[in-house]
Formats: sequence, structure tokens, C-alpha cells
Amino acid sequence: MIRSITGMIIVLALAAAVFSVIPYNGVTEELHGAGSYYAENGVADTGSINLVTSVVVAYRGLDTLGEVVVLFSASTAVVLILSLVPMGGKPTAPSQIVQTTARILPGAITLFGIYIVTHGHLSPGGGFPGGAVVASAFLLVLLGSRSLPGAAGMLTAVESLAGLAFGLLGFWGVYVMGQFLNSRVLPGGSPGQLISAGIIPLVSLAIGAKVASELSGVFASYRSKGETVEPD
Amino acid sequence: MTASLLAAVACVTGLMMIVAGIASLLVKKLISAIIIVGFVSLSASVLFFLMHAPDVAITEASIGAAASTVIFLWGRARIGGEE
Repeated sequence: MIRSITGMIIVLALAAAVFSVIPYNGVTEELHGAGSYYAENGVADTGSINLVTSVVVAYRGLDTLGEVVVLFSASTAVVLILSLVPMGGKPTAPSQIVQTTARILPGAITLFGIYIVTHGHLSPGGGFPGGAVVASAFLLVLLGSRSLPGAAGMLTAVESLAGLAFGLLGFWGVYVMGQFLNSRVLPGGSPGQLISAGIIPLVSLAIGAKVASELSGVFASYRSKGETVEPD
Repeated sequence: MTASLLAAVACVTGLMMIVAGIASLLVKKLISAIIIVGFVSLSASVLFFLMHAPDVAITEASIGAAASTVIFLWGRARIGGEE
């Protein structure tokens, strides 16, 4: 009981803290420093009409590389720990509804994820959200408990290739322009077109593939070791 | 949608999140708590969308609402049942 009350007080305090901040975020209309620079020169610099993507991939692309490395270490640690811990409990077969959903929906969800990744420089989204959506399609396949022989090896290969592609695209910018992840090593094109914004779509693809394969690897490690239950 | 309507929807969503967060602490069954936490994540995704951060909303919906709920459920199955 004391634990519940303490937890409730902590939740209420956190809620008060969060909701006291929200109005201030709503009313500040003016941009300062780097923010105003990105808003004024972002499209001209990178050719991406989605300013969030131009910041995440081009201006602060190095931070995104660090983020991907953090995700990589986290997923490696999860897979390692799960391979050491003995499995308890007994998996149950999924219901008819889950099986049918897992048969129909993953294709559409994957397509939507790929759309989010490839249109990252045009509409909200980009590599990270799109990769997460693709990984959730993989999660649905796993929920349907279909066995995926060889999935782990393929995920590792995709993950490594995507990381390599990200690094190479970055150093291409160093080689040509003297700047890591400079998006202008390819022609910028006209902003708003699908093929535009230099290497931003390519970097988005690399990030999307890496995020999707890493998250999928984490999900798959929960279901490995012959734990998969064949549908009835 | 007008700004005041948006604010009203955001307030209702936030209140539902607070109620659901408290409920997740008080419910007896672990599986109920997991589903309620998933609902909190989904509401957070709606809030992100209302605050003009659709990309964050996509990430929150797929990772926070879908993936972490399923991982909690698998973890619950692995530790073998109820609290």
C-alpha cells in the first residue's frame, strides 16, 4: 500500500512538472541562435523541405551517427543477456485473430515504413521513425509465431551493411567537401522532388535499414532458441 | 481545428494519461498494468501529434505503444505469470 501511494505521489509530481512546462513551449514563437539559422537557410543549404530531417541528417548528422551507435550497443547487450539467461515460462500459441492479422498486415506496414523512410526529406518522418515502423511489422510477424529460419543472420548482415553505408556516406563528404556528412556531394535538385536534397535520402535509407534491423534483432532474440510455436 | 479545441483535446488526453498512469500502479494483474502502460504511450503519441511533432508521434506509436508493450508481455510470459 505504501508502495502504491509513493508511486502515485511520484507520478503526480512528474505530471505536474511536465504539464507546467507545456504552456511555455506553446507560446514561444521566436527562434534564437541555431534554430533561426536552420529555419532561414535550411532549404537553401540542404535542399530538404523537411527541416527536422535536414537538422537530424545533415546539420547534426554526427549526432545521429552517435545515436545509432547507442542503439547498436543497446541491442547487442539485450541479445547477449537474453542468450545467457535461461528461459522460463511456456509460450502459448497465438489466437486466430492474431494469426490472421499477422498474415495480412505486415506487408502494408512495411510499405508504409519504407514510404516514411524514402520521403523523409519531404514529409514528417525519416530514417528513425520509418525504421521503427518496419520493425513493428517484423514484430507482428513474430507475434503470429511463424518461424523465420535465417532471419538473425540476415538482420546482422543488413545492420552491418547499413552502418557501413552511413559511415561511407559521411566520409564521402569529408573527401569531396572536407565536411562529414555534407549533403551537397550529390546535386541538390529542386526542393520538394523525391530525388533531391543531395545524399539525405540515401542517409535516411541507411538509418532506416539500421534501425529496423537492430530493433527486429532485439525482437527476434526474445523468440529464438526453438521457442517459436507453430500455429495450430 | 481551432486552437482552443486543440488545447481541450490535449488536456483531456493528458488527464487520461494521468488517470491511466495511476491505474497502472493500482491494478492487481500484471497484464492489465502492461496494457494500461501501452495506452499511456498511445496517448503520448496523440499528444506529440497535437504539438506538431508528427515524426516523434510515429516513433512513439511504433516503439512506445507497440514494441515496448509486446516486450513487456513477452517478459511477463518469461518470468511466468502474475505478480
